[in-house]
Amino acid sequence: MNPNRNARNFLKTHDRSTFYSTIIRGVSAARITLVLALLSCAFAPASRADNAERAKALSKKVMCMCGGCNDTAGTCNHTGGAFSGPCDTAKAMQKEVADRVARGDSDDLILQSFVQEYGPTVLPEPPKKGFTWLVWVMPILAPLIAFYLIWEVVRRWRRQTLAPAGGPPISPELLDRARREADRESDE
Amino acid sequence: MDIFGSFALLLAFLTAVYAFVAGIIGIVTRRVLLTKSARNAGMAVFGLVTLAVATLEYFFFTDDFSLAYVAAHSNRALPLYYKFSSLWAGQEGSLLWWSWLLSIYVFFALFLNRKRHPELMPYVGVTLAGVQIFFLTLNNFVASPFHVIAGADGGGVLRLAKLADGSGLNPLLQYPEMVIHPPMLYLGYTGFTIPFAFAMAALLGRYPGEKWIHITRRWTMVAWCFQSIGVLLGAHWAYAVLGWGGYWAWDPVENAALLPWITGTAFLHSVMMQEKRGMMKVWNVWLVFVTFMLCILGTSLTRTGIVSSVHAFAESNIGPYFFGFLGIVLLVCLAAWYKNRDYLRSDNQLDSLVSRESSFLFNNLILLAACFAVLWGTLFPVISEAVAGNKISVGPPFFNKVEVPIALFLLFLTGVGPLLAWRKTSVDALKRNFAWPGVGGLAAGAVAFALGWRDFYPLVCVILSVFVALTILAEFYRGARVISSRDGSNILTAVGELTMRNTRRYGGYVVHFAMVMIFVGIAGSAFNQDIQKELNVGQSMAIGPYTILCQNFDQPSNDNYQSERATIEVFRNGKSRMMLYPERRLFRASGVTETIVANQSTPVHDLYVVYAGRSPDTNLPVIHAYLNPLVKWIWFGGIVLVLGTILAMIPDRRAALVLRAATDRPWAGEAAPNPVVSGPIHRTGSDD
Repeated sequence: MNPNRNARNFLKTHDRSTFYSTIIRGVSAARITLVLALLSCAFAPASRADNAERAKALSKKVMCMCGGCNDTAGTCNHTGGAFSGPCDTAKAMQKEVADRVARGDSDDLILQSFVQEYGPTVLPEPPKKGFTWLVWVMPILAPLIAFYLIWEVVRRWRRQTLAPAGGPPISPELLDRARREADRESDE
Repeated sequence: MDIFGSFALLLAFLTAVYAFVAGIIGIVTRRVLLTKSARNAGMAVFGLVTLAVATLEYFFFTDDFSLAYVAAHSNRALPLYYKFSSLWAGQEGSLLWWSWLLSIYVFFALFLNRKRHPELMPYVGVTLAGVQIFFLTLNNFVASPFHVIAGADGGGVLRLAKLADGSGLNPLLQYPEMVIHPPMLYLGYTGFTIPFAFAMAALLGRYPGEKWIHITRRWTMVAWCFQSIGVLLGAHWAYAVLGWGGYWAWDPVENAALLPWITGTAFLHSVMMQEKRGMMKVWNVWLVFVTFMLCILGTSLTRTGIVSSVHAFAESNIGPYFFGFLGIVLLVCLAAWYKNRDYLRSDNQLDSLVSRESSFLFNNLILLAACFAVLWGTLFPVISEAVAGNKISVGPPFFNKVEVPIALFLLFLTGVGPLLAWRKTSVDALKRNFAWPGVGGLAAGAVAFALGWRDFYPLVCVILSVFVALTILAEFYRGARVISSRDGSNILTAVGELTMRNTRRYGGYVVHFAMVMIFVGIAGSAFNQDIQKELNVGQSMAIGPYTILCQNFDQPSNDNYQSERATIEVFRNGKSRMMLYPERRLFRASGVTETIVANQSTPVHDLYVVYAGRSPDTNLPVIHAYLNPLVKWIWFGGIVLVLGTILAMIPDRRAALVLRAATDRPWAGEAAPNPVVSGPIHRTGSDD
């Protein structure tokens, strides 16, 4: 069945307001379901598996501070070392994360405590405040500025195009150049 | 022998200086003979640097450990081909290697154009010589690979010494790809010097028109192709050898290789604006300048360790030289541009916002945005420490967050841009060209969603990839259908014919297709899984559809390394599917351990198994298994990319046909009043 036709048939037999309120009812029903689902997640007893997942995810949000790798504590993997798995530093950090997760600390709190302990280098993502805010803003700001500049250039190009309309008759040189250009453009 | 090598290097330096000075005097005084002599000097540098390289290789091959460099990067037990590649395993050798590859490019650029462009070539020669002087300065006076080893004897007198054996090549570099990857990447880095020199020459010599772009088109594509191969091989090496289950970590050195690749890509696109419409002249000159400077920056990031990187090739004192050189290059570029900026005025204007022109503008804007974000993130730790005094890390999460949306938008443009016509595109043409690919993309998205790809970015990537692939296929199909209806050939022959008539356009499409494959492969990484577990003989673990059973552990060894190996049987649906042998090798000469990954790769996913060694706590063997979807598409895409680039470099077949039509008879029996312009050019809705 074509859903459009369905809707049209529906509109024929009902007035518009019933139609929209049905839609709204549908949407809010969906929203309630979603909220319920989220609530059930939030209030479900934090199982051990959930905690392990959370700890794993969190340990990837702090850098391993052993100084010999450029990995997060969760992915630390000393290739070329005696054992290519997490080093002692990474393991200690993983354990700290796991302990704090088990204690029920929030993600923010855990990350904050690591920053207090090791300084801001422990975060692989620089915080979005203070000077390091710039690292996030510039990749958005710079293209916008560039876009504005391009926009200006394009507008200038366009204005120049519009200007000669109704101007002096075309000179033979100009005509010749246009022909040459047309040739060149149809070259490929 | 070492005297021979260092003498050749010194002569090379002097010859380059001569080429530079004599070239300038030749230009100023308009003495043709002096100009010629300067050119010959430029070509001679190649021979001299070759001698130096050959000398160093001779030391490696004869196990002569009287040179410090050889003793530090080779040993007797090393296989022969790795002795060859040990040349670029360290700082000094890499820089020599840079000089040598550059001298090859310079030789061919000067030689192939020796009878052409007499107004332009002297400037090209001087620019190239300038770059060569910098690198030969490093080779001779800062980081010479010909340092000998000396030891004090009993009386305290220094005497030349010769070690019995070297300390060996870093085992991570003992992998076939490491014989190819650095030369490829360096051929990319050095290759961009040629378009740079031509752009600089055209600007300084006020060489008319778009000539420099025509001359350098293939050079740029060669450099770009090598850079692509270099980056992809590096990624593949990281994946296959390092054993961490990934191929790209946004490490500063990886980023450094990506930067000139991005601007080079932008340049390859924006030159079309200048060729076809005489627009963006300033932009193109600056794109080449920036690309070259990024090559130098990339080399310096790799070589100086200024930004901390896992590629700890070198942490040395050559940083100031590189940054000095970068500063000089920037000043020269600024001065040349400022003095001759009137020469770069645009011939044309933009007719419509929905046109090929504006799509190129967008393409360049987005590419440069991507480049800027990578550069910014890479250098920010340094900037932050210098300006605000606080040390921070900018890790992969930052780059993924910033680059993924940019890359996806670029993918979108890849589909849209080529189908917009020059000057102006009608709404009808838009509908005609994009309706079916758009529907196809959305359908693919729906299928992917149904199959469980629910993450936003991978889903968008699938939709766009299918959309772009369909627009490309439609382009081939539309063109081929016209040809086949005209001459009755079958559609596949017609596709070949179509491609060969305009290799640049259709080769470009093939490269776009390759990029789609690479994007698909990268999108798969959103669904990577991994599991690490202590596994004793007889124990098993599950990952995805597979069950991994540990069968045995043994210790195969040879002269070069001793090894620990796991024998693993892989089951799927209860049936035995394959045996895998992940391994760890302890290299005797250097005492470094390397993982040998067992990777079972299919187009659907890679089962990637690492023997991580024995757990330090329990002394039990640890197996780390990864299931990485779609990775193989990245490497497939790389191969297609190279083929497409080669295709785009082949001269069009049309040119020959047109010539024949002009001299012989009208083509295929068609009446051709003016054969030169009405050659058998087939057109579709948009033209290139």
